[in-house]
Amino acid sequence: MAIYVLRRLGAVLATLVVMSLLVFLSTHALPSNTAALILGQYSTPETRAALEHKLGLDLPLTVQYWRWASALLQGDLGASLVMERPVAPMLWDAFGRSALLAGCTMAVVSTVGVGMGIVAAVWRGRWPDHGISMFAYAGISVPEFYWGLVLILVFGSTFHLFPTSGAATLADGFGTMVAHLVLPVVTLTLTLLAHVSRLTRSSMLEVLDSMYVRVARARGFPERVVILRHALRNALLPAITILAQDFGFLIGGIVAVEAIFAYPGLGRLLIFSLERQDLPLMQAAILVLTAVYCLANLGADLLYGVANPRIRYAGAVE
Amino acid sequence: MSLLTIRNLSVRYPGAATQAVRDASFTLEAGGSLGIVGESGSGKSSIAGAILNFLGADTRIDGQILFEGTDLVPMPARQRRPILGRRIGSVFQDPFTALNPALRIGAQIAEPMIRHLRMPKPEAAARAVALLHDMGMQRPAEVAQAFPHQLSGGMKQRALIAAALACDPPLLILDEPTTALDVTVEAQILQLLARLREQKRIALLFISHNLGIVRKLCDNVAVMYASQLVELGDARRVLDRPLHPYSKGLLASRPPLEAASRGSRLPSIPGQMPQYPAPEQGCVFLARCAFADPASGCATPQSLATAEDGHAVRCWQANRLGPWPRLREMLSHGPTFTAGDALLNITDLRKSYAGGRSWQLGWKRGPVLRRRAAQVPAVNGISLSVSPGEVLGLVGESGCGKSTTGRLALRLTEPSGGSVEFDGADLALMAPATLQAFRRQAQIVFQNVGSSLNPRLSVGEALERPLALFDLVPAEQRRARVEELLEMVRLPRDYRTRYPHQLSGGERQRVAIARALATEPRFVVCDEPVSALDVSVQAAIVNLLADLRDRFGLAYLFISHDLAVVAQLSDRIAVMYRGTICETGPAAEVLRPPWHPYTRMLLDAVAEEIDPAVEPPAPQAAHGSGGCVFAARCPHHLGAICDREAPPLKPMGGGLSIACHLDLPPVAPVRNSTSPDAVTVR
Repeated sequence: MAIYVLRRLGAVLATLVVMSLLVFLSTHALPSNTAALILGQYSTPETRAALEHKLGLDLPLTVQYWRWASALLQGDLGASLVMERPVAPMLWDAFGRSALLAGCTMAVVSTVGVGMGIVAAVWRGRWPDHGISMFAYAGISVPEFYWGLVLILVFGSTFHLFPTSGAATLADGFGTMVAHLVLPVVTLTLTLLAHVSRLTRSSMLEVLDSMYVRVARARGFPERVVILRHALRNALLPAITILAQDFGFLIGGIVAVEAIFAYPGLGRLLIFSLERQDLPLMQAAILVLTAVYCLANLGADLLYGVANPRIRYAGAVE
Repeated sequence: MSLLTIRNLSVRYPGAATQAVRDASFTLEAGGSLGIVGESGSGKSSIAGAILNFLGADTRIDGQILFEGTDLVPMPARQRRPILGRRIGSVFQDPFTALNPALRIGAQIAEPMIRHLRMPKPEAAARAVALLHDMGMQRPAEVAQAFPHQLSGGMKQRALIAAALACDPPLLILDEPTTALDVTVEAQILQLLARLREQKRIALLFISHNLGIVRKLCDNVAVMYASQLVELGDARRVLDRPLHPYSKGLLASRPPLEAASRGSRLPSIPGQMPQYPAPEQGCVFLARCAFADPASGCATPQSLATAEDGHAVRCWQANRLGPWPRLREMLSHGPTFTAGDALLNITDLRKSYAGGRSWQLGWKRGPVLRRRAAQVPAVNGISLSVSPGEVLGLVGESGCGKSTTGRLALRLTEPSGGSVEFDGADLALMAPATLQAFRRQAQIVFQNVGSSLNPRLSVGEALERPLALFDLVPAEQRRARVEELLEMVRLPRDYRTRYPHQLSGGERQRVAIARALATEPRFVVCDEPVSALDVSVQAAIVNLLADLRDRFGLAYLFISHDLAVVAQLSDRIAVMYRGTICETGPAAEVLRPPWHPYTRMLLDAVAEEIDPAVEPPAPQAAHGSGGCVFAARCPHHLGAICDREAPPLKPMGGGLSIACHLDLPPVAPVRNSTSPDAVTVR
């Protein structure tokens, strides 16, 4: 197991190195000139060349990458060109807010999605099953920006139940903080529920049809025990994998949802950096998102290993 | 009051045209044992399902299931639960899927006690360990902590029996509890059940397709055919002197455990069980019955009536029938194969598979960390030969490497060492064109009839494929050839247009055999071709294989776990254990003494009687590599030599060779040859 973890960690590191290269190269392929961006519209070729030399932009790409990557490893993410501030503190603030949003969404998606899957499997072919699958499909077939607008219209503008933009911290009060999270979390959840609930349903159906569930019933255990103790444990394994995959969708969704709800998170920062061609900010934001995605998948794999006794205990008992 | 009384039980599945169980009645006394035997689809498992309530809410169940005086049929599920598990234990066919993979063994055994008896958890856990010990487990505490995937099949089934007995129920229902297990493991489980029955006075309702097992374990037997009970009575009397024609046919089609002559064929029951039996229109067995007399009483509904012998039989002429007709012995034309040049020659064949990988620190111009894959030998240096027209039976338990040997013989998988020669040419050195020619001459029939035919191809298309692939028959004549092939395996010509799902198991296997014959091969590997089939169908397929052997002079490598089936068809037998051959020789010699201890164990496992007092030999400590592969399980373990040195195959006379350190007596001269045309062996 320890070797497995180490190997997976190695793979994550390798992915990050490759991603840093890709990010670095692709941002350099953008049709923009950093020096021109910094100096503004009154720059001359001479001043631009001088600045480029000062910033090291006239060096070969390999050297530039080396400088950038070694600074990165020392925790120096560079300075934003547009806001003329170090990137790191900005990024971590935004990251914290996005992580809160993502964490809440994953928690809701996993509990509600798995619950919906169980209900649909147990009442297979009857109205709870049909209702749940219609709800889940409606959620996934409409993009999140549309759900966001609908929710803003209904719960924000019409009923004034929840704030429709911005974020609050604990300093503003717990209630306020939660209220700001409700609409973005619901929007993200709607689009993610289908995967988890459909997968839980099908793996639950398979398990409910299995011999050991029949055995549990033949031993006269109550249905609640059969479903939650004997069936669900085994049905959850595939759900863990799909939740990790959903994390990728979630990152994509967060970028859109943060824009709609003016939520000051990583996604919004990324869009801002793209619009303003703020290269250091852009590079740092993309790298952080990549790292988060890799680590989420690693976490899911490890969780799968811990949850599956076949991986945890490999040896045979004679 | 009887423990269990079934009265007029009928079961009809939702959407089914006919009932799965029709008007079944029987009783089981406390401490008694009743075996329900029948082929797949006869409805025997539906009876267990009706008692244990797992047939689903939409299944219609009529009649009464009186357990300890209460009728279970009208009882709602909630009320039935305290009875299931607490008063009625159950064990099912497949121990590999019946244990929950996510829960520890101990927890699964303790759970019934915690839920039904409200036993505190530590006490239940301790009792679970005690139960595992009762089941003959070597290290019960360790097993209780294990997860199901860490146990072997036999250990799993013991754990399941332990769980079924956790609450000391007076009734144990067993649905094919040993079918998925090897014969030697099966023998141990049966012994365990016989012992438990004696010690704990548990009543057994034992459902099985295996007549021999039922005879060993049960006082009474009920024979089921096409959803009806056809014969019911004392197990010994019914199985030794059956009265119903179906029981007679079923018993007659079991191959005896003795070498058969080339000309002999197994009695078999023609046709197959009707899919939609209609007993109101006459006997359901009429179409297959050797004694059928449609002009008289057979065309009227048959009822269970007490016959002369005191048991109930559903046949109007039960009292006046003779034995099931044996097939006339064919002309004994002696061995049609010629000793001498072997068709297939396997020399020191080896095949290893990569097992678990592990990291190892090595040294190669500096320290290197490398991954080492442990090599697990599946076939470990075996030598065999098959002459033209000869049948070599390869017998052994699951995992012994017999199927791998079959695949290696056809170069369907590459060997790790040794050689396979066909007609004098080494398979490994064959050029693609020669290999193609070899493929035409050597074919294979697989065990799993469900998956060895492509479900999207009709029978005709499946049979035309090899014809087209090897360019054997011009396109316009292929249809005629397909019909000829179907006739060869005794299927109607119009089966050409059918798809595999429209065929029964036996018919599918016939198609698979026809497909193997399409290329007019000289050698066919039959890998457990009848293991998945019912006894009566199995006999017909074995006969067909014998007929085709004689007609076309085919040589077979006949692979099976069933020694009786192998003996029926084989000229010579090789017994395989963990990748090595431990005994080989003419079929008749292998089946009589002297025996390799493992052959002996296989033969004992299918013996007629069991003695509940005899404990199976405890496995010896794990042996190191290099010793005899059977040392760990050998009841005649001699000591250090068995663990240290692998015994070579020693000739015992009469063509028999045994690999064993024991000082076995030489083969006794045959006084009165059991088979007049016994095959002479090189």
